[in-house]
Amino acid sequence: MAELDEQRQRLTVKLLYYGPALSGKTTNLTRLHDLLSAERVGDMMTLETEGDRTLFFDLLPFGFTAPSGLLIKFKLFTVPGQVVHDSTRKALLSRADGVIFVADSQRNQALNNGVSFDNLAANAGILGIDLARLPLVVQFNKRDLPEVLSEHEIRERWARAPWPLCFASALKGSGVLESFSALLKKVYAPLDEAFALQSGHGVSEAAFVAAAGGRP
Amino acid sequence: MSGKSPRFDRDMPLADLLRAVPRPRLLAALTRTLGSVWRIVDADGNCVLEPEADALAGVATVGIPLRVDIEDVARLEAPEQRRALAEAAARWLELVLVSGHRYLMAADLHAETVSADFETLQRQHAALQESEARYRALAEQLDRRVQEQVAVIERTQRQLYVAEKLASVGSLAAGMAHEINNPLGFIRSNLGTAQSYGAKMGEVLAAFRRGDAAAAGALWDRLDMDFVLEDFPGLLAESTSGADRVARIVANLKAYSNIDCDTAAPVDLNQAVHAAAEVLAGQVPANVNVELALGELPVLFCDLSRMNQVMFALLQNAFHALDANGGTIRIESGVDGNAVRVAISDTGCGIDPHLLGRIFDPFFTTRDVGKGMGLGLTVSRDIVTAHGGRIEVASTPGRGSVFSVWLPLDRGAPARHPGESNEGVQ
Repeated sequence: MAELDEQRQRLTVKLLYYGPALSGKTTNLTRLHDLLSAERVGDMMTLETEGDRTLFFDLLPFGFTAPSGLLIKFKLFTVPGQVVHDSTRKALLSRADGVIFVADSQRNQALNNGVSFDNLAANAGILGIDLARLPLVVQFNKRDLPEVLSEHEIRERWARAPWPLCFASALKGSGVLESFSALLKKVYAPLDEAFALQSGHGVSEAAFVAAAGGRP
Repeated sequence: MSGKSPRFDRDMPLADLLRAVPRPRLLAALTRTLGSVWRIVDADGNCVLEPEADALAGVATVGIPLRVDIEDVARLEAPEQRRALAEAAARWLELVLVSGHRYLMAADLHAETVSADFETLQRQHAALQESEARYRALAEQLDRRVQEQVAVIERTQRQLYVAEKLASVGSLAAGMAHEINNPLGFIRSNLGTAQSYGAKMGEVLAAFRRGDAAAAGALWDRLDMDFVLEDFPGLLAESTSGADRVARIVANLKAYSNIDCDTAAPVDLNQAVHAAAEVLAGQVPANVNVELALGELPVLFCDLSRMNQVMFALLQNAFHALDANGGTIRIESGVDGNAVRVAISDTGCGIDPHLLGRIFDPFFTTRDVGKGMGLGLTVSRDIVTAHGGRIEVASTPGRGSVFSVWLPLDRGAPARHPGESNEGVQ
């Protein structure tokens, strides 16, 4: 859950890219760093990789100052996708305020997507996070590749899931900001409830999304 | 997660960020760039690093913010006229702080995952220990139950052994009763006859005493006194021999009376053979021929009552091996090397070769339920072994069996004069 430092007038919100190995989480973060128009965008921090694979996490800090003077600070992490790094994934998922699940659209990756989503559900259970109430957006990445499931197929398969579905090609930059904006919208309500963003700090949902660099 | 390690994703105050940097070197590097008039102040305005106390007192200063993430965590203060140098130093300092931040995040994340993994391991370990303890308790419980069962089995075995002994004593008693009843029957009948003879004699003698010779003569003839006088001594002699027979049976019984008494004494083994044969004699039908071929035996130092038990068991087995058509039981004794050998053979049914290995096992019996406990040979072998000897069996199914008992002669007899022995054989 987000953390309010009253003394420093700072609200820190933790967001996460989750998903199977090599589904494009870091690429999402890199593109977002380039696209993001938030008031303050920090440097992207990459902690140790092995080839193309994240070992610890990537971190993009950004934020804006509310009319009340409250600094709303976002820490956007990627998790390592490989199965062996489950403890790291669990530590990253703890206290998360929102998750973008980055799935690989390729036909032969359906199983990996399922395993990773089950892992997200299992870790959420261990950490006491109610997956039904966690702001979550599912992004199907790599739409630019040839052997991918069609949008129709994916929508059919995920018809009964309550989460917003987004389609992206992170490498080319499409859909990245849309997925991120969809998450910002979902994250606003619980934050507003907990920290009175609207009434106490003069931040509406639209202002929240826009100031954080999303698209309305 | 764990409350012990700090959260890796916390907003880190300046003091934490500086922890990852060697302070003296930072101090030296900044002093080399800026001289000894500068200081670093945290977000709350507290000085955290300066080369000399109050270095900037009275100097016009410029404060350059140091940004980590998106926040200004500190300020580098330096004299106004060194602004350009201070700007450059601040960028370097930011790099140092960011790299400190990276290092701390990685280190804390590592600590957090290790501690989580360790907790998981500890939980698993605790679960393993618990299950191990459970299995150990189960094993102990099983062991205890096995011990209990063994105790029950041993107790039951002892009870069965006692029951077997009682049963053999019972069959002994039945044989005895029959044996004693026979002579008692004819002694009683003889005494009845003797009583009537006495009455007759009284009548005749009374007639003689009156002097009535004719009447006495007539009475003599009528009462057939010639026969009475002839029969009377035989009657008494027969009764006496019957009483002797009873006395002998009682004497044999006495040999069995102290069956648990562990007293070794000089013994003629033939005596045990005789005793057993006589005890069984009452049960042996006419078509069973018991042959004795007993050689002269040296005195053996052993427990007579136990030897009686062995001979009785072997003879009883031999007798049971014979069917309704009868047969021959032969008992031989003699000296065989340095041992006394007693062999009891029968012409009975013999023993199946595949059963030969089991006949000495406790409770192994081929007889019907209730007819034998299967302890006779077991106990016999135990007794013979205890005396340093051995029992062997040779058997041909349909032809008969031979059980041989060897008892060693050189078992140390206590120094006792042979004359003390009341067994007549040396």
